[in-house]
Amino acid sequence: MLVDAGLVSPFPRSEALVRATRDLDRGRTSAEEVERAYRAAEEALVAEERTFGFGSVTAGFLRNDDLFRTLVSGWEGFALGPLTRWFESNTFYRRPVLLHPPARRPGAVLASLPPPLRADPAAARILLPGPFTFAGLLDNRSGETGPALVHRLGRLLAEELRELGRDGFRTFVFSEPLVVVDPPEGPAGASLEEAYRSIAAAVPGATTVLWTYGAAPGPAFPLLDRLAVTAVGVDLTEVEPERLPESDRPRELGVGVLDPRTTLLEDPAEIARVALAAAGRRRARRLWLGVGAPLEWLPAEPARAKLGVLADAARRIAQGASA
Amino acid sequence: MSERLFPGQEVGSLPRPSWQLLAQRGAPQTEASRAEFARWDGKLGLGAELPEATATVLGGTPGPAVAEAAGELASLFAIRFLESSGLDRVYDGEARRIEMYEHPVRRLRGFRFVGHVRSFDAKYYRKAAVVGPVGLERPYHVEEFEFVRDHAHAAPKLPITGPYTLADWSFNEFYLARQPGWKGREARRTAQRELVVALAREAIRPTLRELVARGCRTVQIDEPAAGTHPDEVALVVEGFNAATEGIDAELSMHVCYTDYPKLLPGLLEAKRCRQWTWEFANRDDESNDAYAALDELRQYGDDRAVGVGVVDVHVDRLESPELVADRLARAARHLGDPARLWANPDCGLRTRSLEVAHAKLGAMVAGARLARERLGGRD
Repeated sequence: MLVDAGLVSPFPRSEALVRATRDLDRGRTSAEEVERAYRAAEEALVAEERTFGFGSVTAGFLRNDDLFRTLVSGWEGFALGPLTRWFESNTFYRRPVLLHPPARRPGAVLASLPPPLRADPAAARILLPGPFTFAGLLDNRSGETGPALVHRLGRLLAEELRELGRDGFRTFVFSEPLVVVDPPEGPAGASLEEAYRSIAAAVPGATTVLWTYGAAPGPAFPLLDRLAVTAVGVDLTEVEPERLPESDRPRELGVGVLDPRTTLLEDPAEIARVALAAAGRRRARRLWLGVGAPLEWLPAEPARAKLGVLADAARRIAQGASA
Repeated sequence: MSERLFPGQEVGSLPRPSWQLLAQRGAPQTEASRAEFARWDGKLGLGAELPEATATVLGGTPGPAVAEAAGELASLFAIRFLESSGLDRVYDGEARRIEMYEHPVRRLRGFRFVGHVRSFDAKYYRKAAVVGPVGLERPYHVEEFEFVRDHAHAAPKLPITGPYTLADWSFNEFYLARQPGWKGREARRTAQRELVVALAREAIRPTLRELVARGCRTVQIDEPAAGTHPDEVALVVEGFNAATEGIDAELSMHVCYTDYPKLLPGLLEAKRCRQWTWEFANRDDESNDAYAALDELRQYGDDRAVGVGVVDVHVDRLESPELVADRLARAARHLGDPARLWANPDCGLRTRSLEVAHAKLGAMVAGARLARERLGGRD
């Protein structure tokens, strides 16, 4: 079984970074000091991702204030809205308010990437909001219909990928929890298919992973199976592998096997067992191991320990030993 | 129920003056912190009421005695801060608590702190894991309440973090580890119920019992996590009911930053709760009447009081009294009864400056007065 493991959501900020960003917020330190703290943390995290044997690295996306902020700040048409709960968690995001049809400003994502990712684009994994989740969680005052907005965001994200692709970036993870929490129906589903077709065409040969979490993916599976992505990630902390619908189309499968709602460490052998069971149900020829919900729901140290478990489980699967 | 329309209250923690933060950090006072004290002392008269604590904080050598005196002085500061804003119910602004989660958890058995988790932007809180059976070291908030009881001119109340929130904001290791097999949603749910009920029975209820024995008559149970998992509302209620069984006090429940209709009608089973305090201002603007959510309470025939958030605690922009009055009028229209409404900020004003927090509370009270006048009531 081919297997890869890695981050599919931002890594939590270290205690040092917590202190630095908090001090900046309170006017007790300088932006330069915080930048130094970010760079040190990013370098350290890339080194750890490599040590864990992950196929691509993220540097943790530690600077993200929330999933949408980079695009909301970097594109046109948005304002920052109220503090809003992020799904079933005690974390919050500033709900984007879309005042006009959105437009890209070139370089928005590229400029936000930390130095270690820009230094080695081929090894980088870029995390982005999925078009359905982005469209569904913003306050749309643009006059555009929901399905049209999903389609437009897909095209804009495709342009981002084209720009990133020209610089050598090849691996992209789209965070799409809303696809399973509130599955699209009718025209919304069709526009989502169209959005991912645009994304898939942006960078020939690129890997695109759509990552879901927060609910069992069952009702959304027929649509997920039609989307033009390399792999779909499902949250196995929300659904037992035996309940995944069987598939007759071999495809790559992402499995969320770490639970960031608890510091209780998973058993690597148990992870390998459920991941292989899921792969069997879905006839997956390759597995992507990740976290079942945002890893930044944990503090940094327990998150690091869980990544170690993930790496161990990936090794077991690669070696064909599930127990 | 209050005698006049739209009485005012705060529902969370207040910002801390710099002299308190310095004293508790073991740092010497600065020119700026002394000036801040003097500025507020002129309005609130703290030095005259607690001359010894004032002298210790401003003139003492940094250390435990100064920190202790700063806690006492900060408590009085918060009480007078709220009273001078014109509020009808007051407490000490949670001045002596680290924050609403860490403070109680440090007084409970079975927890171990594991690090900081981000709430949003650069706001974090320290989170603990439950690593053993939970229990109570000794009832907490008791000294805090006694100080308020002895010093407040307005009616005192006591906010306390509820069992569901304590559980939801913790990592559940101990109870989850007891579940067999893969730790999926069902295992998590079962383990969480065990934790919530244990916290309610073993920690919150004995603490409430002690507080009531010391004269506490009004308790606000804070459940900001209640909206996190809407399908767990029955567990929120089970925790509230278990924590308050046999407690003779006027009880309210504060829930914020959630889609309230999703919690109904399940939440209404918290029968001992006499007042809901909910956040609305954060999401209220020209194109969205946030108070329309109160329609649902009316439709379910719920006749309890509601404290409605009329000022946003996350922005410095000051609400005008006219805006506050408009919000109260809309809330009254949706609820169908102005006599059941209280005015409050969405949540605690802790992240604002003292000046902004005081101005927001002042605007809230002025807006409530304006709303009363518009309804033809006497102030």
